[in-house]
Amino acid sequence: MLALQLLVDGILLGGTYVLIAQSLNLIFGVMGVVNLAHGSFIVMAGLFTAWFTETTAASPLLVLPIVLLVGFGVGAVLQPLLLERLVQHGRRAELLSLMVTFGLDYVLVELALQVFGSNYVSIPYLQSTFTVGGVTVSKALLVAGVFGGALAALLHLGLNRTPFGKALLAASQSATGAVSCGIDVGRMRLVAFALGVGLASAAGVLLVLVIPMAAESADSLTILAFVIIALGGLGNYVGVAVAALLLGVAQSVVGFYFGGDAENVLPFVLLIAFMAARPQRFRRAA
Amino acid sequence: MATFERAGRGRGRVRRGISLAALVATVLVVIPLAGSAYTLQLATDILTSAALAYGWNLISGFTGYLSFGQVSFYGIGGYATALLVLHTPLPWYVAVAAGGLLAATAALVIGPVMLRLRGILFALGMFGLARILGVVFSDWGYAGGGNGMTLPAELTPIGVYVFAALVALAGFGLSAWVARSGFGLDAMGLREDEEAAAALGVPTTRVKVIAFVASAVLPALAGGLVAWNRSYIDPPSMFDPTIDLQTVVFVLFGGIGTVWGPFLGTLVLMLAGEQFLVYFPNLELALFGVVVILTVLALPGGLVSLANRFGRLHPPVVLAPAELPDAAPPLPHTTAADGVPVLEVRDLTVRFGGLVALDSVSFVIGRGETISIIGANGAGKTTLFNTLTGFIPPTSGEIRFLGRSVARLPTFRRAQLGMARSFQIPRVMAAMTVWENVVLAARHGRQGHRAVEHAAWVLGTVGLAPMWLDPVTRLPPGHRRLLEFARVLALDPELVLLDEVMAGMSREEQENVRAVIRRLPALGVAAVACVEHVIAAIADLSDRMIVLDFGRKIADDVPARVLTDPAVVRAYLGEPQ
Amino acid sequence: MSLEAPALAVRDLVAGFGQLTILNGISLELGAGEVVAVLGANGAGKTTLLRTIAGLISPRSGEIRLFGDSIGGQAPHLVSRAGIGHVPSGRELFPRLSVADHFELGGRLCAPERRAALQERLYAMFPVLAERRRQRAGTLSGGEQQMLAIARALMTEPRVLLLDEPSTGLAPKVVLSVFETLPMLRQQGVAVLLAEQSLPLGLSAADRGYVIDHGRIVMAGTAAELSSDQRVVDTYLGR
Repeated sequence: MLALQLLVDGILLGGTYVLIAQSLNLIFGVMGVVNLAHGSFIVMAGLFTAWFTETTAASPLLVLPIVLLVGFGVGAVLQPLLLERLVQHGRRAELLSLMVTFGLDYVLVELALQVFGSNYVSIPYLQSTFTVGGVTVSKALLVAGVFGGALAALLHLGLNRTPFGKALLAASQSATGAVSCGIDVGRMRLVAFALGVGLASAAGVLLVLVIPMAAESADSLTILAFVIIALGGLGNYVGVAVAALLLGVAQSVVGFYFGGDAENVLPFVLLIAFMAARPQRFRRAA
Repeated sequence: MATFERAGRGRGRVRRGISLAALVATVLVVIPLAGSAYTLQLATDILTSAALAYGWNLISGFTGYLSFGQVSFYGIGGYATALLVLHTPLPWYVAVAAGGLLAATAALVIGPVMLRLRGILFALGMFGLARILGVVFSDWGYAGGGNGMTLPAELTPIGVYVFAALVALAGFGLSAWVARSGFGLDAMGLREDEEAAAALGVPTTRVKVIAFVASAVLPALAGGLVAWNRSYIDPPSMFDPTIDLQTVVFVLFGGIGTVWGPFLGTLVLMLAGEQFLVYFPNLELALFGVVVILTVLALPGGLVSLANRFGRLHPPVVLAPAELPDAAPPLPHTTAADGVPVLEVRDLTVRFGGLVALDSVSFVIGRGETISIIGANGAGKTTLFNTLTGFIPPTSGEIRFLGRSVARLPTFRRAQLGMARSFQIPRVMAAMTVWENVVLAARHGRQGHRAVEHAAWVLGTVGLAPMWLDPVTRLPPGHRRLLEFARVLALDPELVLLDEVMAGMSREEQENVRAVIRRLPALGVAAVACVEHVIAAIADLSDRMIVLDFGRKIADDVPARVLTDPAVVRAYLGEPQ
Repeated sequence: MSLEAPALAVRDLVAGFGQLTILNGISLELGAGEVVAVLGANGAGKTTLLRTIAGLISPRSGEIRLFGDSIGGQAPHLVSRAGIGHVPSGRELFPRLSVADHFELGGRLCAPERRAALQERLYAMFPVLAERRRQRAGTLSGGEQQMLAIARALMTEPRVLLLDEPSTGLAPKVVLSVFETLPMLRQQGVAVLLAEQSLPLGLSAADRGYVIDHGRIVMAGTAAELSSDQRVVDTYLGR
């Protein structure tokens, strides 16, 4: 029945959103870097995957780990090059990181345009569907949602249960305290950013399975990620996961009843509506 | 060596002003007369971009609220102009002006909502607004929908140029005024530390909204001019996100938050961009992206900071007289009727989720009293101060200041009424000078009508007069505490709330502060409340001592009795020796 | 007289930030098992000294040697690994991590075979922390936070412990309990460098002391000598 269908579609879509948002949550929440280039990493990965699977007829799921590693590598190169030197500016670092990634975003989008062109692409993978309990589930959507949610969950567990993850969290909560425990805070920043970029790239691979993507989608995806974080609470992994799923459902519903344009502006409308209704939720996270 | 330009009268300034005006006039007049149509168009483009840049700088540079959606107003201006030209007999330049007015009205409505957000969320909100507007106008048939509208093709290149020049000049002039004015000082304080600014009496919401409205008019006028000049508009061109990008790049490159930055950045990058596009068409965006990255990494202060290194284009010290005058202390005066206590707190309770930070606390501070508030960490002392000054809303209870219920008043209003506080960790504004920190408070306090003299007197009293023009970054830590204290005095308060003001001070510094505390009644301060751990430093100054333990008041008496009360000793001082 | 290098030796240390020079040539020594106080007014350079030794500030010139090995100018996490424990002023805990997490993170620098035993000993030293093992550090009271900061530093098995103004912002009763831990450290052979603003407090806990004024050592001696020296008081009063 319709409501259940929209719900399932929305949740599965939300699964991918969770990964998009959590990867940014790691970068922004843990490292304080306002990564306006987040969407461009997602898009690059998606476009690359589309091109690669078309050229080699390989399964996109095979490409996923490779893209994740490449994304990690790219992040590991960019962090010391562009972001590490901003740390010395203390309080202004957030603003400056916003500016640098703002510039980076335009460079990357331009690069994507030059290399991949401006067309929308998608991958005809797992086009089949199956029906269970009156609900038709697209296999591609299922794969994307499940993998997205799984990777996000792994991130959360990794951060909170492993020694390395705790060291990462410690480095973000007090650099001075962390170095007193022998933690190389500079390296933690590098890993956090690289991991965030790697996971965003993975999200791109998953997303292109279900939504057509082009170079110009980058900004909308960045905004989407930030809106989910804003709604779910910066640094709050559970909140962000819930917000991502809810947004997926909301978009599914709105898209069905009001069409594509409405679906696209929904994140902003929700954000502005929430801001107007509960401003205290949006005070800067301490 | 960073220096600040002294605001003073003098031949130098007048001469500079005149040569500047002459230069401007020459440029304005020569271009349309001697230049080609191409040059005129380029100049017009530069001027409209400069207008956009000044608009952006007003909100993002001066108040620190970064907006990535000023193009919303650009589009509103453009559409308003187009609709007015097409459907009314108004001449084009009136239509453009009307577009500006409309945008200002829209900003007045949108501002209070959007400006509640900080940082990236405000930027996001504005970005979202621009996207929403783009969609709205795409679907609005009356405004041409997705196909846009064509305006009557009247060629008025010189008229457009002149209007654009006037708008750009207005932007420059407005920025120059803001940089020197009390309003600009308020904006800077807000940018540095919004909460501390509110505690000093800055009406933060009002300042933000005014800046926001001003920042909406300039892009709206620019949008109207562009719409008229091109004789065609549609949603993608009017709500084009790259316009925002371009504006941000120009201002950043020129120098964010400065007076000359927006113009210099626009001029240099537009001219360079023209050249660059000849060789590398279609890579404009990548170029701008690279410029942003390089600027942030290598020269975050932009071109203006480069000029600063050569001693040019320094920001003025706001409202600073040529010399620090010898000022008299303020005359004591009060707004409260006789017999009314300065502060009356009744059953004040503050709950955070399950935690009860303050539990039905009640006490009275009478005129002329100095009381100290002691208690273990977590007992609720700072929460009490935060609630009294309005940073935290109380869950229940009453607060009466000078007979007036203040529990619902915003922080800045309480400060203006005469309730001043200092912070545990000094929150002095590092990007400003000592003078500016003090005069900021003085303007909003009860000596606002003679702020300069009062600020001078405060600096002399506290001992910071010799370094009045020093940037705060050069102050050693001990002096920062003094500056914090000076700001409190600058409000000419009736009630002074000092939060662990003795912490980390040497004996000599403590003596200084104690001396000032003793003088406060003579300076018109009706009452003083100190939260302290260094009990020895205030016990002899206190008329009464209040002890908090786990949010509850457990003692309220003269120090001699409090310090020997077994309950207090047990809870706070450890077992009796 | 031992021929070994002292636990900590600082020679002619000059350091500061930006345009300010705070330390103007500091020299001092610390032996294993000693508690040495660094006293002086606010702004005199105590915290800067400790932060420079911990590696958070790069010295402009001068030497810092830990048991003879030079550590001046090294990155702070390497200085920690070399054996300098740091309890910073302001504690610098991880507010959203639990007490147990703090022990675990400090324990990274402890040899694995000794970790569990050290943890139990520290929980015994600070029973109130044992009670609150799972609690987030941000929700602890000031005194508990100070104890956690010390425990975390001790988990790193430091050979030299830098204690920066542990009494700040704490009620007198709590300060007493914090200072009660110092004799235990002495017993374990840890050398403690204690920066304290309060003269009587600093001297009560220490064997020796140095008095800093405007970035220079102006007086040194045993605690007893300094306690009875009028000049020490004068320095504080800026005379």
